[in-house]
Amino acid sequence: MKVRVKHWSAVAQWRWNTGNNNNNDNYAAADDEGDVCGICRVPYEGCCPTCKMPGDDCPLIWGQCSHVYHMHCLLKWLGTPTSKQQCPMDRRPWVTAERKVNNNHTGNEAP
Amino acid sequence: MVSNAVRAQVAAKWQESFTRLNRSEPGISGLMAFSDAWTLATEFLKPRDLNDPKPRRQYDNRRVRMAFDTINKCRRLPVMMEVFLEDLHNSQYLIAREVESHMNLYSETSDPVIVRALIFRLVEWYNAWSPPAEQIIFYRLGQTIISAYMLSFQTHLFSVLPASFARGVKSLVAATLLGTVSPPSDQRDSALWHAFDMLRLVERYETLIASVGYEYIESHVHETCAGAWSEPMLPKLRAWMLEKIVPWMIWPFARGATNAEEAKTMMQGVGSRFEFHMHKTLCDLRTKEMFDIIVDFPDSVPALNDLKECLQRVDQRAELVQSLRRANRKRLLHPGADTKDILLQYVSTIKCLRIVDPPGVLLFKVADPIRRYLRYRPDTIRCIVASLVGDGESGDSLIDDSEPIHPLQQPEVENYADPEWIPEPVDAGPDFRANKTSDIISTLVSIYDSKDLFIKELQVLLAQRLLALKDGNLDRERRNVEILKIRFGESALQVCEVMLRDMTDSRRIDQHVQSQKPNVMHPTIISRHFWPALEVSDMVMPGQFQDLQEQYAKEFSSFKPDKVLRWHPHLGRIHLELELDDRTVEADVPPLEAAFIELFSEKNTWTVDELITRVGKVTRSAALKALGTWVDMRLLKEESENVFRLLSVAEDVTEDATPKLGMASLREDLPPVISVQQQQAEQMRVYWKFIEGMLTNLGSLGLDRIQAMLKLAPGYDRTIEQLANFMEAAKREGLVTVKDGLWKLGK
Repeated sequence: MKVRVKHWSAVAQWRWNTGNNNNNDNYAAADDEGDVCGICRVPYEGCCPTCKMPGDDCPLIWGQCSHVYHMHCLLKWLGTPTSKQQCPMDRRPWVTAERKVNNNHTGNEAP
Repeated sequence: MVSNAVRAQVAAKWQESFTRLNRSEPGISGLMAFSDAWTLATEFLKPRDLNDPKPRRQYDNRRVRMAFDTINKCRRLPVMMEVFLEDLHNSQYLIAREVESHMNLYSETSDPVIVRALIFRLVEWYNAWSPPAEQIIFYRLGQTIISAYMLSFQTHLFSVLPASFARGVKSLVAATLLGTVSPPSDQRDSALWHAFDMLRLVERYETLIASVGYEYIESHVHETCAGAWSEPMLPKLRAWMLEKIVPWMIWPFARGATNAEEAKTMMQGVGSRFEFHMHKTLCDLRTKEMFDIIVDFPDSVPALNDLKECLQRVDQRAELVQSLRRANRKRLLHPGADTKDILLQYVSTIKCLRIVDPPGVLLFKVADPIRRYLRYRPDTIRCIVASLVGDGESGDSLIDDSEPIHPLQQPEVENYADPEWIPEPVDAGPDFRANKTSDIISTLVSIYDSKDLFIKELQVLLAQRLLALKDGNLDRERRNVEILKIRFGESALQVCEVMLRDMTDSRRIDQHVQSQKPNVMHPTIISRHFWPALEVSDMVMPGQFQDLQEQYAKEFSSFKPDKVLRWHPHLGRIHLELELDDRTVEADVPPLEAAFIELFSEKNTWTVDELITRVGKVTRSAALKALGTWVDMRLLKEESENVFRLLSVAEDVTEDATPKLGMASLREDLPPVISVQQQQAEQMRVYWKFIEGMLTNLGSLGLDRIQAMLKLAPGYDRTIEQLANFMEAAKREGLVTVKDGLWKLGK
């Protein structure tokens, strides 16, 4: 017998590829609690308090210090004088990381 | 011995009497004449037996007159009157006999005609015994004697009338209303009423006669109005009263009225009592029928208007509330009624009672038990929400589309500075809230204290519908969400907005992916956290399905480099074409079915357990159900128990090929989204761990203690009632035992 798929309307959910979660290997474990933004405590896949739409409208920002935040949250933090341009987690100067993704594309999505 | 003085006194008295009787006639001729006159007069007045066949003796009027003259001159008239009354008294047995014989006959036949005959007969007796007016009227005693006669006759008559006579009169009066006993020439039966009047029966039986009127009105109202809700009955009833009751009333209640004006005044009292009674009867009837009237709404609007008018005349509001509440309790608020029906009836009740009582006091009182009951129904919210989004599969929608959409209203504080302010109606309870303008949806939503529950349920429903969407047409859902935004506010529906955007984004992404590398997969990519919890499954798609998934995921990641896809393999639908040796079958199936049939392309025979291990963790019943689908389509055959074989060549249907599994009943598609209830149960499972821990460490605990300690747990927001329910459920499962309010872990 030959099975031919004509059309498949599937359901999936997207996740940020933060590099921390061990990718495609085990779905189930990674499916539990996602990480949260260290500033607003909202999951990465959620959106920062000022945004309404998650995803591309409220992207993440990766620091060289390996910390990840909602971009809006971090920019707001860096905008305050007390921040001294440091990462809020480790107090090292904030340097945005070049995103290296497992495929050919480079650069992060941040506008 | 007798003294001289006494003797002299007697002599004087005698002399005086003699002079009076004899007047100044010579000798004793005056005395003789008086004696004659006396005899004649008493004889003349003596009551006679009407049944006596002998003809009545004829008297010479002149002589009788002269005899009375003589007696009058002797001033013996008062004595004669006494004698007459005495005679009358002695003859009363004649009437008593007659009454008795008539009433005996009546009690046998119950025919009002007999009572009528008796009354006329009594009038005859009365006339026969009455002192002839023309003889006496000229004397001073004329009026006195007639009234004395009347009184004495009545006293006696009433004393001999048996109790059944009242009943007889009643039926006779009722018969006059129906016109069955009256002679055709005299429809209103004035002769009878004259007779009544003469015997003074009207005064005596006035209440009785009125009660006949009441009963007649009552039976007429019941006859004509019961169940007739589609037209206003009050005007008809009023016309009927004018035509039927008022003419009848004239005789008993407006006797002796000389003109219409006078008659009107005389009848005013009883007339308004009758009218009141008509309203009251109608009101009672409608009150009793209220539940069905509400069921019939909107066809029953005229009846409601009638009731409103009646309630203004008759103060029956409390009764209406009581009876409607009773009917609701008996017919509506029980486990046999569908939540949808209850809601429908509730909405109709709202609409109906607003007609009857615009301020809403009645509604408030009636609605209270319904609302409280609905609060305990688990699927109330779902029903309301389903009708909110116009899920009108079941026909009747709670909301008519014509109703303008309002934002939900909060109960407003009364504004006493408002010059238009009016106090609450007197019968409003202390917790009555006048929500004058609120629409149906606001009222329904306000059954619950917060609208969050509705929002949650809305999300679940929207998710279900979006995931079940086949043609990708979002317009309907988008419209619904826009409408709901007006009702619930923009921010509450933000999540739904994200869900809709996920749908369009998925389409866009799919277009891009397809343009890069065509794929038969068209996934819906959702933002988790914004969708209600989806069922989790550890299913793994086998064979080419997994390849397809991986390909697609790769394309996706190259389009959106920061993102990866996580599949929900058990959701969605797959359209397959199966090429067998002798036929080609097309099928549109859920993923699990597709996974199984894919496995059958590897080899022809599988056991259920093998299949399950290949696709990961699926429950046995789900697996059997999926296999059942293929068995039904005659692609698989259950060779022996739990062993299935692919039918690469179609086999004839044999009797036992009919699905042994009996899976047909299991075929209903479970919604992919976990309902709010299930979610709560899921959460409670987490707290069970806490409870188990505390009971292990501390032995037995009271409910209050458990609740207090659970409060320390993050995110615990249950009430103690919910906890109690949960513990009860745990007890039923044998996890815990309770003794004297202390909970302990079960053995």
